[in-house]
Amino acid sequence: MTQEDVAITGEPITDAMCRFSVDRPVYPEKSFYFGSKEQAEGSILAERLFAIDGVRGVQISHNQVTVRKTGMDEWPVIGKQVGSAIRAFLSSGEPAVSDEVRQRILPADEIRERVQQVLDAKINPEVAQHGGVVRLIDVKDNVVYIQMGGGCQGCGQADVTLKFGIETAIRDAIPAVGDILDVTDHASGRNPYYVASAK
Amino acid sequence: MPRILLLLPTTTYRTEAFVAAAQRMDVDVTIGSERPNALARLNPTAFLTLSFHDPQQTARQVVDFAAAHPIDAVVAVDDQVTLAAAAICQALSLPQNSVGAVLASGNKHRMRQLFQRAGVPSPGFRLCRLNDDTEALAGQLHYPSVVKPLGLSGSQGVIRVDDAPEFVRTVERLTRILQAENEKEKAESRTSLAETVSAFRLAEQGDQQLSLPSHYLVEDYVAGPEVALEGLLSRGELRVLALFDKPDPLDGPFFEETIYVTPSRLHTVVQEQIACCTSQAVRALGLSEGPIHAELRLGHDGPYVIEVNARSIGGQCSRVLSFGTGVTLEELIIAHALDGDFEPPLRERRPAGVMMIPIRRAGRLSAVHGLDEAENVTGIEQVAISTHVGQELVPLPEGSGYLGFIFAKGASAEAVEAALREAHARLDFVIEQCDSQTQPANTKLEEGRSET
Repeated sequence: MTQEDVAITGEPITDAMCRFSVDRPVYPEKSFYFGSKEQAEGSILAERLFAIDGVRGVQISHNQVTVRKTGMDEWPVIGKQVGSAIRAFLSSGEPAVSDEVRQRILPADEIRERVQQVLDAKINPEVAQHGGVVRLIDVKDNVVYIQMGGGCQGCGQADVTLKFGIETAIRDAIPAVGDILDVTDHASGRNPYYVASAK
Repeated sequence: MPRILLLLPTTTYRTEAFVAAAQRMDVDVTIGSERPNALARLNPTAFLTLSFHDPQQTARQVVDFAAAHPIDAVVAVDDQVTLAAAAICQALSLPQNSVGAVLASGNKHRMRQLFQRAGVPSPGFRLCRLNDDTEALAGQLHYPSVVKPLGLSGSQGVIRVDDAPEFVRTVERLTRILQAENEKEKAESRTSLAETVSAFRLAEQGDQQLSLPSHYLVEDYVAGPEVALEGLLSRGELRVLALFDKPDPLDGPFFEETIYVTPSRLHTVVQEQIACCTSQAVRALGLSEGPIHAELRLGHDGPYVIEVNARSIGGQCSRVLSFGTGVTLEELIIAHALDGDFEPPLRERRPAGVMMIPIRRAGRLSAVHGLDEAENVTGIEQVAISTHVGQELVPLPEGSGYLGFIFAKGASAEAVEAALREAHARLDFVIEQCDSQTQPANTKLEEGRSET
């Protein structure tokens, strides 16, 4: 296999996130999220990706590599560097997530249990005052899926609550956790606590 | 890492866009809102509850907070918070619009006066009191005219009148609208802008101390198409970010915003006149920093400035704007707030447009059909419904919200406009009659037809 043989397709999901699909497995049948350069130490692909200016998060799932970035650099520019990093990794023969990193990860069951404790003890008693509730839907590898209900579903401030409240509380309690994804259908919220209405 | 204070009213449509932009820009963020976030106690450096209608108190509170957590920039996302942002920046010695300039842009009478003094082309106007002898006044006006409250936004309470009897009925209607708004303010324990102005004791703004809810403007109606200009001010210099055509005629009696398409199809000479007029208007108001959103009418003798606001485009409309190869308007605004010398990239060349889906009849939203069909129209990027099922809907002129937003891009402005209209025609909003309302239930909206 030469590096040129590897076909990679980039698909921007948002201005801050782009999914790169590779024509072969990168991390077969598994998924892992690296939230920092430090977390990536020892994992050659993630190390190379975090070396790219502006990269702030990397999720590797089977044949997909999803990159989050900050700043105003353009995806076409960053995409070339991401492609080079993936090709170099594939030709190295190294695992996508090093054994050392894997040993540091809490098992999904333990993450699930600890996230549930944070929701029960810290988050839900607070959001209940706004008629809301936050449920843990799943943990896959170190990625946490949550859903917001009641007054939080469709609330004009849901994004703020997620990013600056829920995420912060979970990460403070479980630093090893990866991405925290909100799977709520906010458009179906029947009784949001704050309703957007101003021009 | 620099810290920004995002002033986000809980009623804004723009939370997600500004939060996403701030996170992409790798800055620490503190959110200032008028009501507490449910998780404020868990992360006290991320949340501040501020009284936006008491800017002096807000400024003191932020100064105290900034002593422990220095703030490098303040970003106001909507009309309701521009005054608080100006007061905070004044207290923290950060570059921003002056309090006086923001006050002027929030009071349509003051704005008209300043435009008139500076020779900015704008409609003729007359300040009236709700308790004036309306019938006598009706005989002194010429028609058509536009009746306009001083402090509301989103075309709320703005009504065209074509003759004297209509004028009398319209003032009665406006009185009810202003009374309802006043009751709402009281219920939410808010102070009025007039009280806020008074609290500032701005002698030079003396005429603003009139009670906004008891006065209104009667303006000359300027016939012609309307445009919207999105701009960024840096030390008073205007940079035009986008000029939008509004292809739906805004002839009244109410002035509901619908389709915006950019780039403008107007001749470049006219576009330059629009930019020139807007620059004049900005100088007249004394605005100097940050985003502006201006609305102008193209009369038979050139552009007339209808208003200039010290904020960026409202609703979720900013989603239609992309700069360079993917920079959002919110990122530009935050970058500019952090660095006044920031040079914004040009808007992407591809024509783009948004349709604000108007509320055309009162009632309660019970269902929305046709979303997939609307999103499948070629050129449509997204259909975002911003109302929730069960929500009470109030159309103009009493209300001021939208059912949602449709976003499109295409090879030409014409293609974008056609896609927006087609997508809107495929949407079906089922609106049921509320107990207090008398209109028929389950009436399907028809494209371009007002049911008000």
